[in-house]
Amino acid sequence: MRPNRLFAAIISIVMIAATAEPVLRKPWEDSFPLSPYAMFAYKRPTKLTMDYAFGVTATGERRTLTPRIVGSAEVLQALTVIQRARAKNELPDLCAKIASRVADLDRYADVTEIRIVSGTHDAVDYLVRHIKGPETVRTTCRVTR
Amino acid sequence: MMKRVAEWWFAPAPAERLAAVRIFVGAFAVMWVGGRLAESYAVAQLGASHWKPIGVTKILAEPLPPGVTLAIAIVTTVLLVAFTLGAAYRFTAPAAAIGILWTLTYRNSYGMVFHTENLLVLHVIALACAPAADAWAIDRRATTQPVAGYGWVLKLMAAITAVTYVLAAIAKLRLAGVAWLDGEQLRNQIAIDNLRKALLGDWIAPLATPFLDHPSGFTIFSVTTIVLELSAPIVFVHPRVARLWCLAAWGFHFGVILLMNIWFLYPLLGLAYLPLLRAERPFAWLIGWWRRRRAGNVPPATTG
Repeated sequence: MRPNRLFAAIISIVMIAATAEPVLRKPWEDSFPLSPYAMFAYKRPTKLTMDYAFGVTATGERRTLTPRIVGSAEVLQALTVIQRARAKNELPDLCAKIASRVADLDRYADVTEIRIVSGTHDAVDYLVRHIKGPETVRTTCRVTR
Repeated sequence: MMKRVAEWWFAPAPAERLAAVRIFVGAFAVMWVGGRLAESYAVAQLGASHWKPIGVTKILAEPLPPGVTLAIAIVTTVLLVAFTLGAAYRFTAPAAAIGILWTLTYRNSYGMVFHTENLLVLHVIALACAPAADAWAIDRRATTQPVAGYGWVLKLMAAITAVTYVLAAIAKLRLAGVAWLDGEQLRNQIAIDNLRKALLGDWIAPLATPFLDHPSGFTIFSVTTIVLELSAPIVFVHPRVARLWCLAAWGFHFGVILLMNIWFLYPLLGLAYLPLLRAERPFAWLIGWWRRRRAGNVPPATTG
């Protein structure tokens, strides 16, 4: 495009106004690509309850699974995959999918079982002092090879 | 007053600078969209239960078949290659802008809105509205400089960058008030983000644990963050001030990696700040080096 000054001015004003428009919304009304960028603005306690999956070996050792195995390489999207499966009572199906992906990967050759749990942890205790909070098992499934 | 603003906004800039920005931003867009085709396809297969349309994808009543999503992403990648090369720019640039807007919005419509690619989309749209292929393009046709020049697009892109930083500060102050400055909110954000990563099998940020054990440092981080974000418009005061601010903003994003393992690649590679810099210099140096090399390869004239 080779706009004249008037058209260039209109494009400039419209694009800047559109980028700034989310300031008129509630900060939690997110969209794309126009966002209020409130992702780090929320007040949060350090205690968190969330659902997650992990592998268990034959000797009972715990193995962390990468988010891609759950359904997305992005960690937060993997989290929503689990949350939605739980909301729709589809955790056993998700567990089976995870188990089948794990079965195909050599680095998880020692994993014999998948558990999806709800855990409540204090983030600082967990990360700094290695203190785990309580966990409730939501579903389990075997890894068959 | 309006005349002075117009003179400032339309102050001339070399066509090569805008072309360099097009090439850098376009190349990144090609890698961002093209390099994540498999991931986009995988996300599209999550199905309607995960579908939560946002932005332009709200026109859809239900998600597209994954194959169609993949095809759109592939076509978008091809268009972005043409955009980068400056091929048939009048047609390919708007199409590439629409393509990247659709593809990345669609990718963000599966339950989680990411904030690492907003600026990329907005910058591609701004470049598509401009004569960004008047130099260093494979089918350059323009013979005269456009009436509006080239500088306004660079200012527009810089203004968009600045607005996004200011919005981030305003959101913090609106939601948490000045209490955000005491560092506790930031510390909690960092703690929760890293806990989620630990539980979901991602890497924990290297400096998260040491700093979480010494929370007083977060007051400094919080104040620095808000000052940096609110001060973004100072980039228009003077080029030297702009460069200093860009360096500080880059440092901020580097700090986000160290504390949260979140990679805002677009600013980390300097692309968000490129409109404020002399972006043509690397290409000009490369072209000069190539010409000198070719000149050096000319065999000496024989005598006798």
